[in-house]
Amino acid sequence: MNKPLVRRAAVVALAACSMLAAGGATSAQEKNAVAADQAAQKVAATICTSCHGPSGISTSPLFPRLAGQQELYLAAQLRAFKGRTRGEQDAHDYMWGMATLLDETVIDALARYYAAQKPAPGTPGNAVLIARGKILFEQGDPAHEVVPCASCHGNAAQGNAIFPRLAGQHAAYVVRQLQVIQRQFRDSPIMHGVIKEIDADGMKAVAEYVQSL
Amino acid sequence: MSCLRKPVSTRARAACGLVLALCGTAAQAVPAYARQTGQNCVACHVSFPELTAYGRWFKLSGYTIGERQTVPLAMMAQVGSTQIKNNDDGTGTDTPVTARDRQLAFNGASLFLAGKATDDFGGFVQWTVATEYKTDGPSTTHGALDNTDVRWVGRMAGPTADDIRLLYGLTLHNNPTAQDVWNSTPAFGFPFTASPTAVGPTAGTQIEGALAQQVAGIGVYGFYDKTWYAELTGYRTADGIFSVLRTGQDISTPGGVARLKGYNPYLRLAYNREWGPNSLMFGGFGMTVDRYLDNTDPDSGTDRFSDRGIDVQYQYVTNPHTFTAQARFVREHQDYKTSFAQGATSNSSDTLDSLQMKATYYYEHQYGVTLSHFALKGTADPTLYPAGAVTGSANGSPDSRGYILELDYLPVQNVRLMLQYTAYNKFNGGSDSGYDGATGRSPHDNNTLFLNVWIAY
Repeated sequence: MNKPLVRRAAVVALAACSMLAAGGATSAQEKNAVAADQAAQKVAATICTSCHGPSGISTSPLFPRLAGQQELYLAAQLRAFKGRTRGEQDAHDYMWGMATLLDETVIDALARYYAAQKPAPGTPGNAVLIARGKILFEQGDPAHEVVPCASCHGNAAQGNAIFPRLAGQHAAYVVRQLQVIQRQFRDSPIMHGVIKEIDADGMKAVAEYVQSL
Repeated sequence: MSCLRKPVSTRARAACGLVLALCGTAAQAVPAYARQTGQNCVACHVSFPELTAYGRWFKLSGYTIGERQTVPLAMMAQVGSTQIKNNDDGTGTDTPVTARDRQLAFNGASLFLAGKATDDFGGFVQWTVATEYKTDGPSTTHGALDNTDVRWVGRMAGPTADDIRLLYGLTLHNNPTAQDVWNSTPAFGFPFTASPTAVGPTAGTQIEGALAQQVAGIGVYGFYDKTWYAELTGYRTADGIFSVLRTGQDISTPGGVARLKGYNPYLRLAYNREWGPNSLMFGGFGMTVDRYLDNTDPDSGTDRFSDRGIDVQYQYVTNPHTFTAQARFVREHQDYKTSFAQGATSNSSDTLDSLQMKATYYYEHQYGVTLSHFALKGTADPTLYPAGAVTGSANGSPDSRGYILELDYLPVQNVRLMLQYTAYNKFNGGSDSGYDGATGRSPHDNNTLFLNVWIAY
């Protein structure tokens, strides 16, 4: 028998099997992802929408707008709710229980879903506050060691990976998050260091500005 | 207010008093739902039982949001003390107006079976044990089915499937408006709880508690785009296969429960708008019932009561400030086609108007103050509203009006300490002493201070 020929045939056969197996695995993963996306859309449309609004555009400032939010940030927050490591009162009151209903694949799919939604347009507000907030957002407040928000959240407050989108977010929600982070009710070491010296007026101004974007 | 409609026997009054006592504890806060959703009470309630926008959605969704619980039980209990301004009935017989004045009194305890059964089916069933305190004998404690509402719900998605465009469902319940989600309607309207022993105005419309836990309501509803709500329900006597809905009621004593002829229609329409932290609802409702004079006698003939109401609710819910206001006006046309023929009323028909308004402020869902105004105004009918110590009327008029001031403190989310003061400017047709036509009692003598502790688990 021609041993090299047999060896080559065996290698070809193994390669073919591997490709088939890989193809099968990819197909299974795709099916799982599609199933997770469908489950996530159902959860979003029947449960999340109750507070966060259709497509993640909430009307009440108690609840953040999720449309267009950064996918990584959303997934991280849902896991923080589920793991109860995000501990401010509102997280406890509204999200801890809801997040326990989600498995890991649905968390990722929900993050994908909301990240893909068209964000709400900005809301006009108090011009004086917006002007002050714009300066704070773009230039920071060196006297109080507040770095420009834009350096992490992007020039248009569009967010970046784990840094959340702020554009179009409810001003009251932004202020509340700044408060709970500053008081360390919400664990966020980077943000706590950045905003520890910002005062209430500064919070209002920057929140009014990002809401207008 | 009172469910008394016409002169009835002492036993019937006692039975009605028991219903009233149960009505007094009828408001719900169901911790089983908090366990089901994993959310805090504040997600659904401004302060229990007043619902937030999300709480309304939860209820209309058939209580199905969340994870089904293995043991979907919850409990509630109230204990309080009532102090009436003048506890002497003025007859010279040393008879008190209310039992256990200025003493601790049990205001009822409830067990709930509540929550999700499937993704499309859920509800709550409440069993309440309450004590009836009597001024002329020993107190009695009695258990009965309280407010109950079970639902099947369906959902229709919008064009993009990102939202529920139409939420619709079927409801089976035992108290008109207990199925409603706005707290401007009677069943879960203010006051959310009241003294079990205080005296109140004699008159009251049918839709404001007179049929509670005595009827079966079978309804269909739809909530479109979170904007338009419509509901059509038929109410019938809770007998036959529906008799479980009035378990514990006195059905053998004349006047013990209401008995209706056939199915009686109830229609509800509401416009709802939510923007920012605000929500606003304008609505109307109507119910017409044919009620037998004697629930034990199917040949006793019926009177027809036609209730037409309008209501409005506004809520501003943020953290830490919450402000809410509700108002309701009900006009009841009372066609006494049978009662008048039998001499039980002075007129062949009467009208009774009922107004209820309240405004509430809460700080951090913990410290609350509520001011309410109520008024009853109707046709004088000396046979229907005769003279008599305390609960009578000198001029046959049902007119009453007054105010309620309530202070609330919730040290934890499921415990409420409340101080409620009810003041009357007019009582059963009179504003001055002698309003009852039998004694020198004045409306102010019925002013009541009620201290209550309300615990839910």
